[in-house]
Amino acid sequence: MTPALLGNLGVSLALAFSLLGLALSLLAYSQGDGRFLKGAKALVLPAFLAALTAFLALEWALLTHDFSLAYVARNHSTQDPLWVTLVTPWAALEGSILLWGLLQTLYTLLASRKSVDPWRASLVLAVLFGIQVFFFGVMATIASPFETLPNPPADGTGPNPLLQNHWMMAVHPVLMYLGFVGLSVPFAYAVAAMVVRRYQTWVGETRWWTLIAWGFLTAGKVAGMWWSYEVLGWGGYWAWDPVENASFIPWLLSTAFLHTAIVQETRGAFKAWNFAFVTLAFAATVLGTFLTRSGVIQSVHAFAEGPVGPAFLGFFLLVTGLGLGLLSRVSREVRDTVVFRLLSREGALLLGAFFFAGWALVVVLGTFYPLLVEAFTGAKVSVGAPFFNQVSAPIGVGILLLMGVGPILPWRRPRAEVFRNLYMLLAVLLLGTLLGLLRGYTFGASLAVGLFLYNTAAIFLLVREGVLARLRAGLSPWGFLENRRRVGSLLVHFAVALMGLGIAFSQTYRLESEKTLYRGQAWEVGGVRMEFLGVRALDEGRRFAVEASLRTNRFGEVRPRLHFYPQMNSPLPAPKVVYTPGNDYYFLLMDFDREKGEWASLRLIVTPLVFWMWVAGGLMALGTLYILWPAPRREEVRGVSPA
Amino acid sequence: MRVWALLFFLVLGVWAQEKPASPPPDLSPEVFAIARELRCPVCQGESAAESNSGVATEMRRIIAEMLQQGKTRDEIKAFFVERYGEWILYEPPKQGITLWVWLLPVLGLALLGLGLFAYFRPKKPLPPELLEEAERRLKEP
Repeated sequence: MTPALLGNLGVSLALAFSLLGLALSLLAYSQGDGRFLKGAKALVLPAFLAALTAFLALEWALLTHDFSLAYVARNHSTQDPLWVTLVTPWAALEGSILLWGLLQTLYTLLASRKSVDPWRASLVLAVLFGIQVFFFGVMATIASPFETLPNPPADGTGPNPLLQNHWMMAVHPVLMYLGFVGLSVPFAYAVAAMVVRRYQTWVGETRWWTLIAWGFLTAGKVAGMWWSYEVLGWGGYWAWDPVENASFIPWLLSTAFLHTAIVQETRGAFKAWNFAFVTLAFAATVLGTFLTRSGVIQSVHAFAEGPVGPAFLGFFLLVTGLGLGLLSRVSREVRDTVVFRLLSREGALLLGAFFFAGWALVVVLGTFYPLLVEAFTGAKVSVGAPFFNQVSAPIGVGILLLMGVGPILPWRRPRAEVFRNLYMLLAVLLLGTLLGLLRGYTFGASLAVGLFLYNTAAIFLLVREGVLARLRAGLSPWGFLENRRRVGSLLVHFAVALMGLGIAFSQTYRLESEKTLYRGQAWEVGGVRMEFLGVRALDEGRRFAVEASLRTNRFGEVRPRLHFYPQMNSPLPAPKVVYTPGNDYYFLLMDFDREKGEWASLRLIVTPLVFWMWVAGGLMALGTLYILWPAPRREEVRGVSPA
Repeated sequence: MRVWALLFFLVLGVWAQEKPASPPPDLSPEVFAIARELRCPVCQGESAAESNSGVATEMRRIIAEMLQQGKTRDEIKAFFVERYGEWILYEPPKQGITLWVWLLPVLGLALLGLGLFAYFRPKKPLPPELLEEAERRLKEP
């Protein structure tokens, strides 16, 4: 038994089980026969085990340095540390698809345990098996992780050095895939709902999945931002690079869906929006893969390219066609008949969802525009960060405004006392902005201060109201914490406001400067005084490191590095970041005297409030977790009847 | 010393052709502000401020020199546009073929807004007894 054999066996079996499962679940639906459904359900676990076998076979090949596998030869070297080897399955295209497929089988397994009526159960399974067929089909044909080489090399080159530079790379892709795959379950339920024409309950039934997917997407994005900040050595966290955009689009659309879903759950409205948003969100995950893995775009993050572009494009069209086609068939039945007011909870939620969807539209437009122009006219144009920043700023302001008032507004129509709260919040917004302006901040940064205070005040009002209501009813105020959805979402909203503040300040006030220092020379910039003490070289086996020693007046000795990898023809700077609650100090070694080590070129980037963005990312994950955390059982309470 | 020797060869091998022997010039914050708006022509989607490629380093040096000569931000950008074409600018010009990328979001958002307006426009409400019926049905398990 070789890893290649075991891996191919796993992929083939997973494909076979998925195909069979798809056929059985379709039969179960069309024949209305429960035995077929039982058969299909019985195939869920074997498909997962087959996928797991394939994944473990890849790990086995990597751990035993089996360079007869093309994937191992391209992405692994005997010099790699153990943790790099273990995460190499998702360092390139074929392994990433395998991980994606494995997670899909896991989610199918978990989703199939929930009991719904047999008609919808068969359709949900059919959709999920169909997705699995696509992934394992791709692995079995055009992107096999277990392709073998006729003449295996003695050693490989190892994964892209950018991926080895930070442990975050072990986490970020897995989080992203967990998020992408999570959207498949609500999508499958939506398809089933549209086919059997039972439009109401699917949203509530998949709430857990939607939140899980959103939580992972958010955590994955923030992890990616942090990686970009600590590894790419440019002192930024978001470059509006096509790959970043590709994963931002599903996040935006799933955020829109998350919010309109609440309205359907509580008021039975917005059914059509929810079908559309969930379809687009799931389709966007596939489109993103097409965009980043087909080689049609240039990006710093495109680590895995291959021939899968057309396959993913086709799958994207299939998903979109299925979801929107079904929606157009039932559109007359899911139309909203109730009257909506803009100034109501549902009004704010819908408007917010539109901001997110509009933002997604803008990002899609900016990302694809250069491609389209080049395809049709042959001209090369760039649409970069300045464009996205200018277009996104007003949308972001709109979202932050709505985020404050939305939870304050009651369903249907505003009551008189609500207006008092609204005026108060408006006053906080104006005062905060004015305060910022008086402190000499730019208008944008001042507005961000105002919006942060405004959102914090809104959350304070809501918590106060909840606690007072409980006190009036003679209950313990701590019981407010049991309203997990409310508390968790407020925590997430606070984190978003904090993130907004961090983004506004770090984008507006960023100081970047570079200077060549001779040994013993000092440089004072951005409130730091540093003295260059010298450089030294370190042989670390798979790479060389050159380390500059700087004596600073505030942070002791700081040692930024340059890493030389044999497979890269320019060195990678490894920044030294000093996080403080006010400013981040980002030290970079850019160049050094190769003969005597007499001088070194150093760059210092001082960016305010970046620290709080990582705090906000953590709070977002924590808030989502708080909502998802299973509530304590309350059978005893329910047993006491009020009669 | 072995390390230094190895390093020396490594550096000679890969870097000799693109690095001048003298230390690079000092770069003020303004240099980076301008470089951030220019594409590094040989990179995969990085700006001239971020990239460590020889071309980007050279671009930063040119920007620093031109600033010292008293050139303005626009003059410097125009210099690079003349050299590489408008593709070098990360901010697409609001004219010609890239005008549409600025207009389309505005048009798209306006359309979305119109759609929303239609959605919220007061429709003829349901008679109250039907409305109550709908609410009652919603509350059913």
